[in-house]
Amino acid sequence: MHETILHSHDTIHDPKSNMVRVWDPLLRLFHWSLAGSFAIAFVTEDDLLVLHVWAGYLILGLIMIRVLWGFIGPRHARWSDFVKEPAEIFTYLKAVIQSRAARHLGHNPAGGAMVVALMLSLTVTGLTGLAVYGAQELSGPMAPLFSGLSEGWAHALEDIHEVLANLTLLLVLLHLVGVALASLQHRENLVRAMVTGLKRSGTE
Amino acid sequence: MKTNITFAIAGVVATSMAYGSAVNLIEGYRNAGAGPFSPDAGGSAWTQQHQSSSGVDTRSCSSCHGTDITQPGRHVRTGKPIEPMAVSMSPARLSDPKKVEKWFRRNCRWTLGRECTPQEKGDFIQFMTSQ
Amino acid sequence: MGILSIASIGAVMSSSESDDHEHGSFRGAWLESRADVRPVDNETYQSECGGCHFAYQAGLLPGQDWQRIMDSLVEHYGDDATLDELQATEIRGYLLDNAADGSRLPRARAFSVGSDTGDVLPRITNRRYFQREHYEIPKRVVRGNAEVGSFSNCQVCHSTADAGIYNEHQVVIPGFGKWDD
Repeated sequence: MHETILHSHDTIHDPKSNMVRVWDPLLRLFHWSLAGSFAIAFVTEDDLLVLHVWAGYLILGLIMIRVLWGFIGPRHARWSDFVKEPAEIFTYLKAVIQSRAARHLGHNPAGGAMVVALMLSLTVTGLTGLAVYGAQELSGPMAPLFSGLSEGWAHALEDIHEVLANLTLLLVLLHLVGVALASLQHRENLVRAMVTGLKRSGTE
Repeated sequence: MKTNITFAIAGVVATSMAYGSAVNLIEGYRNAGAGPFSPDAGGSAWTQQHQSSSGVDTRSCSSCHGTDITQPGRHVRTGKPIEPMAVSMSPARLSDPKKVEKWFRRNCRWTLGRECTPQEKGDFIQFMTSQ
Repeated sequence: MGILSIASIGAVMSSSESDDHEHGSFRGAWLESRADVRPVDNETYQSECGGCHFAYQAGLLPGQDWQRIMDSLVEHYGDDATLDELQATEIRGYLLDNAADGSRLPRARAFSVGSDTGDVLPRITNRRYFQREHYEIPKRVVRGNAEVGSFSNCQVCHSTADAGIYNEHQVVIPGFGKWDD
């Protein structure tokens, strides 16, 4: 059942075109900053350690802001708008496979699930990174706590951090596939939408 | 042709400077009352084994510099390559008297457990210039 | 329009996929590492101390360890390394200015972590950070390896040690090849 409804009191509706503002500026800035920071962190690894660590700090900071924004921000930024129960997510995914998934202005249920998954994955990656920085590099805010860990544990943490980073990358790839698919199925450029914030109004 | 001549002249100059500085060092040792000096004495002292202070191992100049001093040597502990000691291979070898004395001081103390006498130093210089 | 979006998404996808490639040569092609510790930039230190062994960067030991070493040059790990006064003063000053505990670089600072070595002559290879980083290296690959001999010969395996770059992607162990973590 098609269920996207336009509420005029919290989306900006341009009467001349049929575009509505879906993604607010902070959300968009968050999205691209996060993507950029992850790219930098993944590529620099420990070759450019200082840059890598700052990208990691930025990621954790951005996530904290986004979590808060999900409670106080505009409609489509809110967790309540797109975080759905597993049953609904699976139903939606089935519909995607059958090319009959409904178009949503905000995140659809699958997209919403990806948001949560990515945020969790990035957070755990970042936190283990902090731990490794303290345990292995004997640096950073966790150093007093972790620098006394055994070499074995420090190395284990490093491996865990690496696995989680790769898992995050996998999620990013899936995310891109999902965005591509949704763009195709609903005949719109979702990447551009995340830049301008604007999407075609209505449900079709 | 011009380049070849330039190189030849440079080579002659460098070599004569090398042997020239050797002569200065020898003079210094002679003034300290040592001499005559012999490259053979230097050569045999080169390979003579000495007990280390700990008594664990024996040492000689050849431990690091090798027995054929036209070849590069290796630091016995760190493995760092050392340029050949023969002046014919390393013309700048004896050019800085301060450096020469520094290495004599350090290496004689390591090898023999004491400083080398001017006689011994003179013999070593002759050995290095003869190769 | 649809084509454009697919193309742009495809481009983003392939660039992020490339991050998964084998690290070595691909990484070297377009990512230049920065120094982990400040490379040696003092002539006297380089020639005097780099004469017998690798010129260990000042950032590899805390200041108090360098003091101990400079105080005991006559018995320098089995050798006599005495210097003349002028050189000794210059080198001591250089080492203290650039020691691990004062460094801005996190990996150099990491070398200052750990307790005092007491009376034993300090060794870079005994630093906690060093042991952490070399924990997985089997001894036979270093000590049992004629071309390496000791963990103290950094430059044999760390091909960019002279530049102060020690990260594992530049490690090539003679007789064993690239170190793949």
